[in-house]
Amino acid sequence: MATITINGDAYTLPEGEKLNAIQAAKLCGVEIPYYCWHPALSVVANCRMCEIEVGAKDPATGEIKMVPKLVPGCQTLAKDGVVIVTDSAKVQEHQRMIMEYLLLNHPLDCPVCDQAGECGLQDYSYHFGQATHRFVEERTVNPRKDVSDAIQLNQDRCIMCTRCVRFTREITHTGELHVMNRGNHAEIDVFPGVPVDNPLAGNVVDLCPVGALLDKDFLHTQRVWFLSKHESICTRCATGCNVSAEENRGSLWRFKPRHNPHVNDYWICDEGRASYKEANNPALLASMYVKKAGTPEPVAVDQAVAATERGLKDVVARGGAVAGVLSPFLTVEEAYLMARYLKSLSPQAVLALGPVPVSGGDQTFAPDKTTGRTGDTSFVVPRPFTIRGEKCPNRIGVSEVLAHFEGEVIGWESLLARVQKGEFAALYVASDALDPAFDEVAAGAIRPRVGFLVVQDTHATPLAQVADVVLAGATFAEKAGSYVNADRRLQYAEAALPPRDGSLPDLDLFAILLARGAGPVRSREVLAEVAEAIPAFGVARGGVVPPFGVVIATTPREGADAGGAAVGGPAVAESGSRFSDPWTTVWRDHGGRKRI
Amino acid sequence: MNANHPDLKRMTPPKLSLGDRLYVPQVIAGLAVTARHMAGVVFGDSAITVQYPEDQHIPSPNYRGVHRLNKDESGRVKCVACMLCSTACPAHCIDIVGTTAPETELWGDREKYPASFVIDELRCIFCGMCEEACPVEAIELTGLYDLTGLSREQMIFDKTKLLSVFDLTKDAEPMRYGSPPSRPTSSTELVRDSI
Repeated sequence: MATITINGDAYTLPEGEKLNAIQAAKLCGVEIPYYCWHPALSVVANCRMCEIEVGAKDPATGEIKMVPKLVPGCQTLAKDGVVIVTDSAKVQEHQRMIMEYLLLNHPLDCPVCDQAGECGLQDYSYHFGQATHRFVEERTVNPRKDVSDAIQLNQDRCIMCTRCVRFTREITHTGELHVMNRGNHAEIDVFPGVPVDNPLAGNVVDLCPVGALLDKDFLHTQRVWFLSKHESICTRCATGCNVSAEENRGSLWRFKPRHNPHVNDYWICDEGRASYKEANNPALLASMYVKKAGTPEPVAVDQAVAATERGLKDVVARGGAVAGVLSPFLTVEEAYLMARYLKSLSPQAVLALGPVPVSGGDQTFAPDKTTGRTGDTSFVVPRPFTIRGEKCPNRIGVSEVLAHFEGEVIGWESLLARVQKGEFAALYVASDALDPAFDEVAAGAIRPRVGFLVVQDTHATPLAQVADVVLAGATFAEKAGSYVNADRRLQYAEAALPPRDGSLPDLDLFAILLARGAGPVRSREVLAEVAEAIPAFGVARGGVVPPFGVVIATTPREGADAGGAAVGGPAVAESGSRFSDPWTTVWRDHGGRKRI
Repeated sequence: MNANHPDLKRMTPPKLSLGDRLYVPQVIAGLAVTARHMAGVVFGDSAITVQYPEDQHIPSPNYRGVHRLNKDESGRVKCVACMLCSTACPAHCIDIVGTTAPETELWGDREKYPASFVIDELRCIFCGMCEEACPVEAIELTGLYDLTGLSREQMIFDKTKLLSVFDLTKDAEPMRYGSPPSRPTSSTELVRDSI
């Protein structure tokens, strides 16, 4: 157990973690400003912002010996007996000096800069810098340039922290970005014809503490202080990256990664980053439809739901078989309510897993402690990042629900074969897939064989166009619920947008069909029910999902059936706090300088 | 706070004199003030009102009327679409859509400009926070006070209309801070000039 002294107070650090002074101080509630340090990247200590006074306490005599010069906090190991001082006049004068130095050539672009509002220079300048600019020489002016089709570099805003350079070298091992020239002429650049086009390229924009690297997709569209952030889960692939879905005026504007050491570490892939656009797609279903005299007509929500219920009950009353298709884009809660509804209609109802979109194989970025690293890696804990080929968020979660109700997981292909044999008089397809999941072929194969077809989706797919009832469901951004990722980790996603006009979140649709009573249904309550009913989800007792998610229990069926990589883990809630750079969050205290 | 709270200060109404209590002398004193003003209007030139619309009222220089969007020397809109005015606006009446400036010769030195700039003049409370927030002195409130329209839609001013208000008022009311110096070739010149 290490005891360190910060600004005269003694603190005890948790066992087993190798922390530097910045991390240790943060645990103790003391902020040390920094730019170039990032927990996933090697330490280069080139911004000099985190320099502090460091000393050591002699265990025998209790005498404190300080290092005569200031020492970078990012490089200081917080071991037993270390004494650090972050608020002395010497440190404060140094921080003021570094801020003035970093801002020497920095243009006063804040009104047109997208980083304004979440900018390290703005925040630290306010807290540690000065209001005046004494530099009277000519400022270096660099034209803006593109380092890829998606990323713009405004070099004159750069502070040469080299986070982006280290990212492409150490994490993706592609090494597109470099520091060109030296000293005052140093700039970040790519070689001609070698743009930053790796699948994780967008992360360099998130890493940039200033407005030098900018996402051209977001460029000049919104000011960041207008955006409300919602803790969401990316549904682009089975990894289930933690993202912050940022909304303003009823539209999503961007995804930003949220740190989760067990899933996505600090990153998201570019494909996932771009998937926010699907929530703003103007072609999303804007109404429910009921087929009248052969043509689908838009109807109100209650009429569509009533038509669904009437149609399904007719089929059951006439002794026809009912089948339900639960897409791997449904949340666990939705899958559970849908399965319960269909089983309550007819205990013989067949439930199957919807089509699982697969595109290519898994792509893993596995940084280690040596490859591409140039600085000090003793504080780095390298974690792999995988982009899955399975392009849906919740195959395992829906499969667990299906296995509970059905005893087995019936795949889409085998259900389709049974549909084509004419086994079912009614089919209820709930999709909500990110990309339209059913094409003309599927529609042609299903429609003639099924008497009553209900399609619940967000897209007007060919299958929806021939359905008897179309229920407009919710996109990933409009629904709250939990997903189980490819590592069997259950994670909760908040809704970021209200339901579109004419649609209703799937959970509410199922709740109305189940006649659960008045008032909107809460996903947490349903999750609590799921946790009671299905042993695999017992870890989410009471509907509580820890911030980093929780690994659900393994059932013996899973490995044999779906062929997924079932990595069963202990069902315990992990501790630890979510890392985020201080400038990306709101400062708690705008008055004090000592404790931020 | 109850009636016995120690912070409460008890006030007693002033005692009325006999004249106050008789009421009539005070009425006459009031009428005398009215008569003095009437005499001033008829025989002197002390009228506060004007015969609008034959006579035009000229408001004080810090009057806050209709907004205008200023133009720079090249005739471009000065606004850089930073949206600080719509952030500062307590009535949420400013809607700006910013976009990247085109890479033409005219716009080469500009990075961002407003593709659309709309002010709902009916919602505006004319507090002047927008011009205070503006870092480039692009939005200003003019002395135009006769703001009329036949429909709500007419009172929603877009960029074109706000720029035309500038053309209308620029001679009578020059920009309050002039135009900022175009990018100095050397900041030392600036310092020398100021000395």
